[in-house]
Amino acid sequence: MTIWTAVDFVAVLALGPLLKGVATRTKSLLTGRRGAPVLQLYRDLARLWQKGAVYSTTTTWIFRVAPVAAIVTTLAAAALIPFDGREAMVQFAGDFVAFAGVLGLGRFLLILAALDTGSSFEGMGASRDATFAALVEPALFTSFVALALATGERSLGGMLGSGTASAWAHAAPSLAMVAVSFFFVLLAESSRVPVDDPATHLELTMIHEVAILDHSGPDLALLEYGGALRFAVFAALPIGVLAVRATVPPLAGLGVLVLGSLGVAVLAGVVESSMARLRLSRVPQFLAAATVLAALGVILQVLA
Amino acid sequence: MTVFFIGLALVLLAGIAAVAVRSRYLAGLLIIGGCAAALVPAVRVLAGGAAPEVRLALPGPGGPWVFGIDPLSAAFLIVVLVPGLASALSGLRDSRPVGALLFAIELVALALVVTARAVVPFMAAWEVMAVIAYFLVIADHDRAEVRRAGLVYLVATHVGMLALLALFAIWAGAGGGLTFADLAARAPLLPAGGAVVLLLALVGFGVKAGLVPLHFWLPDAHASSPSAVSALMSGVVIKMGIYGIFRVVGLIGLPPAWFGWLVLGIGVSSGVLGVLWALAQHDLKRLLAYHSVENVGIILMGLGAGALGVTYHLPFIAVVGFAGALLHTLNHALFKSLLFLGAGSIAHATGTRTLDQLGGLGRRMPLTSVAFLIGSAAIVGLPPLNGFVSEWLVYQALLGSGGAGGAAMPAMLVGVAGLALVGGLALACFAKVCGVVFLGKPRSAAAELGHDEGGSVVGPLFGLAAACVAIGVAPVVAVRPALAVGAAVAGAPVAAAGLVGATAGMISLFALGVIALLGLGAVGAGVVRRRRPVGAGATWGCGYALPSPRMQYTASSFAAPLLALFGPLAGVHTSRSADGAAFHSEPRELVLDTALVPAWHRLRAGLARMRTIQHGRLWVYLVYLIAALLALLLYLTGFLGTVRG
Repeated sequence: MTIWTAVDFVAVLALGPLLKGVATRTKSLLTGRRGAPVLQLYRDLARLWQKGAVYSTTTTWIFRVAPVAAIVTTLAAAALIPFDGREAMVQFAGDFVAFAGVLGLGRFLLILAALDTGSSFEGMGASRDATFAALVEPALFTSFVALALATGERSLGGMLGSGTASAWAHAAPSLAMVAVSFFFVLLAESSRVPVDDPATHLELTMIHEVAILDHSGPDLALLEYGGALRFAVFAALPIGVLAVRATVPPLAGLGVLVLGSLGVAVLAGVVESSMARLRLSRVPQFLAAATVLAALGVILQVLA
Repeated sequence: MTVFFIGLALVLLAGIAAVAVRSRYLAGLLIIGGCAAALVPAVRVLAGGAAPEVRLALPGPGGPWVFGIDPLSAAFLIVVLVPGLASALSGLRDSRPVGALLFAIELVALALVVTARAVVPFMAAWEVMAVIAYFLVIADHDRAEVRRAGLVYLVATHVGMLALLALFAIWAGAGGGLTFADLAARAPLLPAGGAVVLLLALVGFGVKAGLVPLHFWLPDAHASSPSAVSALMSGVVIKMGIYGIFRVVGLIGLPPAWFGWLVLGIGVSSGVLGVLWALAQHDLKRLLAYHSVENVGIILMGLGAGALGVTYHLPFIAVVGFAGALLHTLNHALFKSLLFLGAGSIAHATGTRTLDQLGGLGRRMPLTSVAFLIGSAAIVGLPPLNGFVSEWLVYQALLGSGGAGGAAMPAMLVGVAGLALVGGLALACFAKVCGVVFLGKPRSAAAELGHDEGGSVVGPLFGLAAACVAIGVAPVVAVRPALAVGAAVAGAPVAAAGLVGATAGMISLFALGVIALLGLGAVGAGVVRRRRPVGAGATWGCGYALPSPRMQYTASSFAAPLLALFGPLAGVHTSRSADGAAFHSEPRELVLDTALVPAWHRLRAGLARMRTIQHGRLWVYLVYLIAALLALLLYLTGFLGTVRG
């Protein structure tokens, strides 16, 4: 682990809210509005952090622990990703299972916090959240299998970092499909269109937003920041596949990471402004498409 | 081995003490001492000691009765005795003395099944285990559904028994020795690579293990029995089927390729279907029973990967696959017993097992809810608990060691995708269970009666939860012995597993890091909260003035989107009233209700037509007798005539 690994990690921690601002600004510009400032989420987080909180009398300690768990698990998952294109802060064989597992831990506690409030809105959001999360897992793991086959590595640090350089030479179509599959997974996991609409104000049409409806004050700040960090972590997956940084100097690698993340955010904004959220019964087909793409990536390599 | 037998004798004595002296404390002490004594040789073997063996030349057919503890038996002894002890201590409180005696005999039979090294003692102990389990299951035999569950279980287990008898008969051949060593020596001589033997093993042991489609007896039997018995059956008795398959694979030596693929396929389908049917259940204990089907599927995935590794000479996959299956067996025994004991505590306190009538029990049963939550997180496979470690091992086996394993490649896609889907569905299912049962507001008057039971019930719960956390945080303790046993079964050196043992240390650091960060975060959040104005209020319901507990999201609604995806495969039967004002959904046991019961009815109808022979007229019966005698005479004289002539 070099100093640049830590620098890139801290850069991602700092940049997370910026990415969400860029995506929202892109969508606003494309729909003919000026939109909120790009740094708005930072101001929102600072404002929420100063506020007090109101807790429902129905809730228990799980409701209070869930925002902390969401942040901590997203940080732990981020520690497994090689942001500098070479190695991750924590790296071991099979750590992609730990990546999905620790994110699942955060999601488990968030769903429980939603059911803790005893509200039917939040129960509905929790149920849909759980459904889509269950369908994202096969897509994520199949993509990791394709990467493992292409690079011959067993850890995320190798799959998304040093291993991809040689993999592009002989498995380029598979890697392209894996990158698209990762983008679909990003849209699903960060609750963006076409899986969920982050800008809707109707509780019955919300999924993730309604699951965290009752949180307020610092808890909500933690959850919003956690969501932004989640976007940055999942954006690093297609960037890791597409942008090989093992051979460039570390400072250029950091620049590529920042520009790539901004590019992914702009792309997410373009998708958000050009299509509506899918009907709930169609979202599983979208997630199945991600799985099938990754599976094609695997099959192409097995046949080759 | 004498220490082992002394331990088993102490366990039996505990049961007798419960009946004769009626002292629960004495029985508890004796059973703790007995299990500890019986575990000593097992731990010694796993730590690298020599495998003891004892031969008893008993009068009667079948050769000598051989008992021994080799690494596989030692691993399964731990699986039998540790959760078995916890279930026994928990069940001592409210079981009748006869129940305690039966429980003790069951534990002894289970230990003997695992240590038997010859066919006759194995089958004898197996039958005792199966029949005593029947008596344990029908403890509440006043209720009709309990009797029916027991009957289905009895029929299923004896069908499996027939398959096992055929298995050993074919394997030993005519006049062959009946010890496991003799069977291993005869394995290369079996026709078609032992195809018939392996299929019979899958059927016979599969009925006991509960793999789809042989699982049909499982949900009813586990739901209808008392909670300690459910914990024992789901945590331990099912594993005897897994032990049987392990033993057969080990004795066969080189299983054919189709067997590994078949086991892997059965594993994936059991896993996915098991958790899907669990999602559909409204009854807490039936839900947990279906989760046992799912976890047996995960174990079989590891077993299948290991068998494929042995067939294709890939020692990494073989060793790590078997190790993953073994570790998941132990982990499942631990957290499933924990969940069943917790469910029993809930049912005992509130009087209901229906999910949609519970709620808000987290405040009323804080200790039970924490232990149950740990068990749920463990069964879903979330770090930093033990389910994650065994699933990680199975993933490692399915992926193989970098590069090698050309023939095994396609397995990875199906196995890995299947295991990922199983994990996601399990998360949804246990989020539903924990959320609906412990959180929110009580949905009925029964739920308001929830309370934590005494130390004798909560103690074993926390013991099992501590074991789950311990294996999750320090996986090296469990992974290294599992790799050693896996290597012994696969016939490969432990070093073939490469750095897997060392990587378990990294998992340890990761798990500790996550726990430390969670603790720091919780403390920090508490500090921040104290410096902010914090208020209390009602849950925001969009300004609705009078929310009631019945308006909360129900368990069946929570699971509905996922179940709708799978259509008729989920086995959910819905019905609406004529005016559309009432809606009812109920889960059906697909294999039993669509295949077995109709087949049984058709068989009965077909056989009923033969009843015309039996009409009660005595003179026609005499005609039958005379006709049979004449036919026999003709046959004999004709036969003798041709022989003479």
